[in-house]
Amino acid sequence: MRNLAKRVIFQTLNDKRSVALILIAPLLILTLVYFLLGDSDYVPVVVLDENAQTQLVEAFEAETLDVRLDTVDNPFGYLEDNKDVDAIFEATQEGTTITLREPSTKSSKAVREIQAALSALNPAADIEMNYVYGEEGQSTFDSFGYVFLSLFSFFFVFILSAMALVKERSGGTLERLLMTPIKRGQVILGYTLGYGVFAVVQSVFIVLYTIYVLGLTSLGNIGWVFLVMILMAGTAVLFGATISVFARSELQVVQMIPFTIIPQVFFSGLIPLDLIPYGLGNLSYIMPIFYGATAIKEVMVYGSGFSGIWVYVLGLIVYAGILYLLNMRALGKYRGH
Amino acid sequence: MDIRLNGVSKSFGDQLAIDHVGFTINSGDICCLLGPSGSGKTTLIRLMIGALAADKGSIQIGETIMPNMSMLHNIGFMPQNDGLYDDLSAEANLEFFGSIYKLGKTTLQQRITEVLTLVDLTADRKKLVRNFSGGMKKRLSLAIAILHQPDVLFLDEPTVGIDPILRRQIWDQFQAIRASGTTIVVSTHVMDEVLECDRAALIYNGRLIAYDTVPHLLDQTENGRVEELFLIAGREGGTDHA
Repeated sequence: MRNLAKRVIFQTLNDKRSVALILIAPLLILTLVYFLLGDSDYVPVVVLDENAQTQLVEAFEAETLDVRLDTVDNPFGYLEDNKDVDAIFEATQEGTTITLREPSTKSSKAVREIQAALSALNPAADIEMNYVYGEEGQSTFDSFGYVFLSLFSFFFVFILSAMALVKERSGGTLERLLMTPIKRGQVILGYTLGYGVFAVVQSVFIVLYTIYVLGLTSLGNIGWVFLVMILMAGTAVLFGATISVFARSELQVVQMIPFTIIPQVFFSGLIPLDLIPYGLGNLSYIMPIFYGATAIKEVMVYGSGFSGIWVYVLGLIVYAGILYLLNMRALGKYRGH
Repeated sequence: MDIRLNGVSKSFGDQLAIDHVGFTINSGDICCLLGPSGSGKTTLIRLMIGALAADKGSIQIGETIMPNMSMLHNIGFMPQNDGLYDDLSAEANLEFFGSIYKLGKTTLQQRITEVLTLVDLTADRKKLVRNFSGGMKKRLSLAIAILHQPDVLFLDEPTVGIDPILRRQIWDQFQAIRASGTTIVVSTHVMDEVLECDRAALIYNGRLIAYDTVPHLLDQTENGRVEELFLIAGREGGTDHA
């Protein structure tokens, strides 16, 4: 088993693209996600009527807004003609109207800033929001960053192991290996251990980079995050091995990603499960990323220790156990005994 | 070690792949499994190795009834598609497979040197296999199959896609391995290769249509052409030579 793990490690190290896939790709994508979902220094452009009260204009200008004064007869037409304007604010006897280009993060930011300006004018309307976990105004990356930790630790190891094992099946190395006195369990554990080494290194890279470079906060002990990510990666090796049974080529592995990985993304914590209709949220229990993502959220967002994550850790172990047995069965076809 | 097949049959679903095949391969012989593509040669090899279990009949290597896990220590296998790790060097491939047979560090290094010399790859031992030519891969695949000095060697279409000069070299290597007492079972659809073997089993549609020494088989032909054997034996129907 150790020799097989050693072989997997050397073989992967000799393939620079695989090393890049495991170690560099997650950091690159996390950085992109950080910039895409992180704090933006965008300043929304809001148009006020040119006869607006000075007090109102000053309140708007005190917020992060680019305030323009103009005469607007038709807000819809005005927004069509002025692509750089995000919102038009109109206060009349009948009430207050905000017209926006489209529902978007830019529009949301404009509305937030307008509300802040109105609160400044009327402190009684100022609503203070308190959260048990997290804080008002935190970026999307701060809210969902943990999801990407679990997604990446699973996805890249899955790709690597599924591709490698399909290649082993089609290239005849697996058949040859199973015509030696090696035990089937040793084969599966050898692969898991070999790729597990990369999973450990990858987890260290991802967690340290996310926390110390990208500034994602963790309320709990990051040791538990490491544990979950390594378990996730181990499960990903077995998941990839299982999927490779149904694929005859690397292309077919790619074809299976929409059926096996993409649905898991939506059940990983990006969307609260109780918002999903028809009880479809229960599908998460058959998805390994759910267990990993939930455990990581428990540690990083809620500050839980082992007592808060053991159920999910157990879920991952049971999942890995089932996949191990499936792989044992699949390898059985190479041996008549 | 001799290999005895007794009335072996194997089906895949409704498809009868091997139909009541029986013959004995003598210890130290080179036995050729000859037949067109899809005739059942690879299935027969997989049954003999123990990669498949027969539905009916039995296979024995020496005194051991196959499939048998411990017999894998005495079996060498060269698959049709080489079965090499492209991202490892020739030496690393040999070291990995040698470690499975628990050869011990000193013995393993000695055997690696011996087999690389035999297949003429000593100068290329440190090169990654992905940089090897087709012929070099075949030779390395053979080196892995004989690394642990098996008593029985199974070679599945070892010369397919190989040019005539290299084919000659590879057959010379088989003869050298046989000289050390190893029983060799080699499948091929190249009719001329039967002349390299002691005995030949002619397989057609999963049935054994002839099994004899090569001179005896050729005596049955009018023009001494191996292809005639299929026509003659096909007319006579399958026989059990156990």
